[in-house]
Amino acid sequence: MVEQHLVVRNRLGLHARAAARLVRTASNYRSVVRLERVDGSASADAKSILSVLMLAATCGTELRVIADGSDEREALDAVCAMINDGFGEEGV
Amino acid sequence: MTVRRPELRWRGQGVAEGVAVGRVLRLHDGAPNVYRAVLDKAADSAREIRRLRAAVRLARRQLLDIKERASHEFGADHAYIFDAHLLILEDRKLFEEIADHIQREQVNAEWAVKVVADRLLAIYAEIKDEYLRARGADIEDVMQRLIAALSGKRRHRPQPAEDAVVVAEDLLPSAMAELDFKHVRAIATDAGGWTSHTAIIARGLGIPAVVGLRDLFRRARTGDCVVVDASKGTVILHPSPATIAGYRAAEAKARPIVAPEGGREPLRTADGVEIILRANVELPAEYEGVRRYGARGIGLYRSEFLLSHRGVVPSEDEQCAVYQEIARIAGADGATIRLFDLGGDKLGPFSDEAERNPALGLRAIRFSLRREDLLRAQVRAILRAAKNGRLSLVLPMISDVAEVRRARRIIDEERARLEGAGCEIGPVRVGAMIEVPSAVLTADLLAREVDFFSLGTNDLVQYLLAVDRSNDEVADWFRSLHPAVLLSIDHTVRAARAAGIPVNVCGEMAASPAYMVVLIGLGVAEVSMNPSYIPRIRRTVAGIEARRAQEIAAECMRCATADEVEDLVRQRLGGWWPHLFPPELLPAPREPEAGS
Repeated sequence: MVEQHLVVRNRLGLHARAAARLVRTASNYRSVVRLERVDGSASADAKSILSVLMLAATCGTELRVIADGSDEREALDAVCAMINDGFGEEGV
Repeated sequence: MTVRRPELRWRGQGVAEGVAVGRVLRLHDGAPNVYRAVLDKAADSAREIRRLRAAVRLARRQLLDIKERASHEFGADHAYIFDAHLLILEDRKLFEEIADHIQREQVNAEWAVKVVADRLLAIYAEIKDEYLRARGADIEDVMQRLIAALSGKRRHRPQPAEDAVVVAEDLLPSAMAELDFKHVRAIATDAGGWTSHTAIIARGLGIPAVVGLRDLFRRARTGDCVVVDASKGTVILHPSPATIAGYRAAEAKARPIVAPEGGREPLRTADGVEIILRANVELPAEYEGVRRYGARGIGLYRSEFLLSHRGVVPSEDEQCAVYQEIARIAGADGATIRLFDLGGDKLGPFSDEAERNPALGLRAIRFSLRREDLLRAQVRAILRAAKNGRLSLVLPMISDVAEVRRARRIIDEERARLEGAGCEIGPVRVGAMIEVPSAVLTADLLAREVDFFSLGTNDLVQYLLAVDRSNDEVADWFRSLHPAVLLSIDHTVRAARAAGIPVNVCGEMAASPAYMVVLIGLGVAEVSMNPSYIPRIRRTVAGIEARRAQEIAAECMRCATADEVEDLVRQRLGGWWPHLFPPELLPAPREPEAGS
C-alpha cells in the first residue's frame, strides 16, 4: 500500500469535470484507489464518481491518496499528478 | 366564443439578447411520478434487476448520442458534462445500491431508483460549497433518465413547433442538448442565472433567453401566445394584439431574412465602393454559417465563450486547438480573436465580492493585465495557432495608450520566448477595441500603436451615453443614432485613415440595414456581425450608393438630437431606396410614453 498527501489546487475543486477525469484515470489501474480527507471526516472510492463528488473537496482541501494493489505505484502517481496539475485548468 | 385573457407580465433576467413572439412549449423537467409496487416473490426481484440493467444500457446509449451531439454543436468544452453523466450512470456503487434496495425491500426498480436518488440528493444538498452543491442537478438528470429508460423510453421530448418558446422551471443540461434548436425561438425559465448552462448555450446560439421568472411555468400552458424580450428581461403571457404587433415589428427588424447562399465575389455598393462583411462567432454551431453566408473571415471571436462555466479557463493547449480551428474556418480572410473580456458580471469566483459597478470595474484588458498568467497563456496559444492560419488579436476595452503598450510588451516577450524555445509561431496583428469614450478621443494616438481598430458599438453607446442597456427604466436613452455616437464613429474612422490602419465595426449597429447606411456614409468599409444577418446586409449594401450615404451621414451629424437623426434617416432612406427600406426596417417614430 502506498499513499501521498496533497492539496486540491484547482479553484472549483473536485467538480463534475475534474471528478470525471479523476475517475477515468483511476479506473485504468487494477489497484484499489481511495481519497481521504486528512481530517478523517470522509473518504471516497476514486473509481466511483458519486463517491468522489460526495467528498465535496473544494479548493484547499487536504487529501490523502491511497493505492493498494499490483500497480499501486503507477496508480498513485497518475492520480496525484492529475490533482497536483489542477486538472489542467488554468487560472488556478 | 373565447374570452380574451388579460396580459400577464414577468420581469426576469435577460441572459441572451433578442426579442421573440411565439407559442409556449412547456418542458417538464420535474421528477416523473413513480409508484411503489411490492413484489410477490424472489423471482420478481431478479426480473426487476434485469430491467434495471437493460435501462442502464439504454440510458447509456442515449447519453453517448447526446455527448456526441453536444460536442459537435456546442464544443468539447460544453460536452464534458455528459462524460460525468455517463460515469454516474455506470457507477458500480449506484447500481449495487439500487439492486440491493430492490432485493431487500422487494420493490419495483423505479421505486428503488427513486429512493436511492433521493438519498443521494439529500446528502448533496448538505454540501457547503455552492458550486459543488449545484451539481446535484447532474445526479437528478441521470436519475430521471434512468427512470424514463425503465419504461423503455427516451425522456419525453416534444418536437418543437416552428415558433416554440421553451418554458421550463429549469433546464437540465441534457435537456438543452436534446432540444432541436432550429425551431426554438426563445427560452424562459423560472430558475437560473447568468452562469447557468441554459444561459451560456442560449447566448452561444443567439436565442433570446430570460431566466429567474419565478412562477411562469405554473401559469403558462403549451400553445399560449407569449412574448420574450430578453433585452429588457420581460416576458408577456397572452399578449394583446397591440402588444404583439409592436413586438412583431421589432422581431422583423431583428430577424435575419433568408437569402440565397452568399457569393464569394467582392461586395460593392451600387457606385462601386467595396464593403467587407465578416462574421462574429462564439460556438462551433455557428462556424458553418461563416462559409454558408459568404462571410469574409471572422471579424470577432469572443474568446470568453471558451469558458464553459464560471471560472475555469481552458489550458494553453486547449485554447490553441480552438484558435487553430477558428483560423481554419476563417480561411484566407483570417480571424480576429478578442482577448478574454472577463471580469464584472462574468467574474464568478475570480473575485471575493461583487463589484458595485462592474461595467466600470476590473474587466477585459484591465483584468488580463492584473492576471498576467492568463493573458500570457492566451497570447501564446494565439501565436502558436497562427503558424498555419491567419490570426489577429484585439485588446478589449482599451481606455489608454499605456494599456496597449503594456499588452504589446507582453506579446513581444511571449513571441521571443516561443521563438527562443524553437516553437513554430505565426505573425499576429494586434488591434484595439474602441468602445470607451477616452479611446475615441485619443484615437489618433492609439492608431500609432496598433495595427487596426475594432469599433464595438454596443459598449460604446453604453459608455458614451452613460446608459445601462439592461436597465428598462433608461431604455429610451440608449440611442445608437445619437449625434455623439455618430461624431465618435466619424472621429475614429478619420484617425484610423490618417494613420493608414483599417477599422472593423462590430456590434449590433452593423446588423441593421438602416444603421449600415449611416456607417457607410461615415466611411466605414469593414463590418462584422452574426453570420445569419449577412445576406440581409449584403442586399442593402449592393442596393445603395455610397455617395448618397455620405450625404445622409453629413446631414445626420448636423442634427442636434437622436430624434432628429432618426427622422432624417427615415425620410432619406425611405425616399432614396423605398424598395430596400419598408417602414419596419426603419427606426420607429418615437411616440409619447405608451404607458405599459
